[in-house]
Amino acid sequence: MSDARVHHPGLFRATAGAIAAVAVALPLLGGVMGGISPYFANIIGQIATFALLAVALDLIWGYAGILSLGHGLFFATGGYLIAMHLLKAGFEFGGITPDFMVFMGWSEFPGFWAGLEHFPYALALIVLLPGALALVYGFVSFRSRVSGVYFAIITQALTYIAMLLMFRNDTGFGGNNGMTGFSEVLGQPIGAPSVVIGLATVSVLLLLAGFLFAGWLTSTSFGRLLIAIRDDEARLRFLGYETLWPKLAIWSLSAVLAALAGALYVPQVGIINPRLLSPDLSIEIAVWVALGGRGALSGAVIGAAIISALKFWLSGFAPDLWPFILAGVVLVVVVVLPNGLLDLRGLLHRRPAFGNILSEKRNG
Amino acid sequence: MDKVEVPSGDQALRVDGLRVAFGDFVAIPNLSFLVNFGEVHGVIGPNGAGKTTLLDAITGKTRPAEGRILLNRTTDLLALDEPERALAGVGRKFQKPSVFEALSVRENLELALRLRPRSILGELRNWSDPRRKARADEVLDEIGLAARAETPAGALAHGQKQWLEIGMLLMQRPKLLMLDEPVAGMTATETAHTAELIRRLRAPERAILVIEHDMDFVEEIADRVTVLHGGDPIFEGRMADARADARVREVYLGR
Repeated sequence: MSDARVHHPGLFRATAGAIAAVAVALPLLGGVMGGISPYFANIIGQIATFALLAVALDLIWGYAGILSLGHGLFFATGGYLIAMHLLKAGFEFGGITPDFMVFMGWSEFPGFWAGLEHFPYALALIVLLPGALALVYGFVSFRSRVSGVYFAIITQALTYIAMLLMFRNDTGFGGNNGMTGFSEVLGQPIGAPSVVIGLATVSVLLLLAGFLFAGWLTSTSFGRLLIAIRDDEARLRFLGYETLWPKLAIWSLSAVLAALAGALYVPQVGIINPRLLSPDLSIEIAVWVALGGRGALSGAVIGAAIISALKFWLSGFAPDLWPFILAGVVLVVVVVLPNGLLDLRGLLHRRPAFGNILSEKRNG
Repeated sequence: MDKVEVPSGDQALRVDGLRVAFGDFVAIPNLSFLVNFGEVHGVIGPNGAGKTTLLDAITGKTRPAEGRILLNRTTDLLALDEPERALAGVGRKFQKPSVFEALSVRENLELALRLRPRSILGELRNWSDPRRKARADEVLDEIGLAARAETPAGALAHGQKQWLEIGMLLMQRPKLLMLDEPVAGMTATETAHTAELIRRLRAPERAILVIEHDMDFVEEIADRVTVLHGGDPIFEGRMADARADARVREVYLGR
């Protein structure tokens, strides 16, 4: 198999197996047998949503070569929608008035909250809204041939605009305090250990599904088309492919995956506020993928897991150090490991293939 | 090789009154010329003569201010966008080798064949159409890369990448094949190999337009040459005569 494609079937299977093992272990050790505390399960669940977010970014960045520094926008859209569902359901079925309405002195929800207490409707919105947002933005950008760093900067700007909008208190999205105080999810008390472990398990299962799906998709002829777009989009256009459509398809799909991740993240942290839309998170997603290795879905999962685990661990005693560590990771990747941790394999086992390429006669 | 007289095939490409300007800079003031089916037509000229700009205008990378470009007498290329022009039968090899480095040589070729030009989705769904593999096998033989079919294109030598890119264009059997400096940066052996390849590609149903700096190479492959200077054609005819032309010697060969 080609090295240049960063295709690692063995690593992919190992990663899928590890995710599946966690999905099985969580309900077993967290519930029946004991051994995993709800606190720990919750962290694993959060990391799983980050890993899914990283897989979403890798699909467009690693495979189609489109860097987004605004995937926090889609993640947060999913998060806000699920938060609205949880608050509305808590109000309709549990009689609990959300804090932000008390704070604003409102007795009624804004009109656009209508129907959100119903989970199927909320779920449909979680898929359709970010998908439509991505379609519109992608269509306008790709058709005008906005690409590369310009595309990345605009995604970042859009996310920032969304953050400023969400900081306003009169928009009906909870303002700068965000939304919190979720009481129940699908009729179950949200803080109960079984619910905590259940949410974590669902997150890991969704990660597994997303990972396998992305692995399948990139192995199809569509996946080859994406790699061709990444390697030389102009060449592909001059071969007769209107690249707008495949780019739009993978971009929107990536946005939906990110939104689903966000919709599972927010019930587990119990809060969403506009800081999820700050540039920090969106850049951090790119760092996860860069550390793990672009264009290898396993790399995205591993990178997200390592960095988020490190962040959780560090936040206990030295949260101020985090920006420096993140910057250090970026430097190491840029200077030493251009393909992220995947390069470590090359350093460990000197690849004979590399020598062959160099010594090959320049004559066919 | 045997010299061929100016072929009398039907016109494949007709450029009429082409004018290309970038702001105040006029790259091509007013250019008209013909390329016939069955011929290899060389376009030469010093740097800045407008050679690549001409290809850009034909393929749609640059929009000309004025003029008309007809393919096969009937197809108005200026009315089409880049992918549509490629599907209409215009194949262009870029100056810098442009291949999909992470894909294998075979995958590069297979991707270049459009069995269902109207729909990308249709194309992807019919990926395993046996005609795709069969055509790729033919072209692999034609460009001499059959032994490297499963190699990632990024691992090929420079010359092999150039041949692969030519092969990608051949997949669709283009009516007009345009090569932008196909032997730039090649070794002598690779250049000879490329000249042989281009001579073999000459076919009655195809016109080949080659832009090149290497005069000897052009003389070897081209039936006819157009010498451009400042976007104007200052000579048209056989390369041997171009070398003798006083104006051409002044602007180009004398340097």
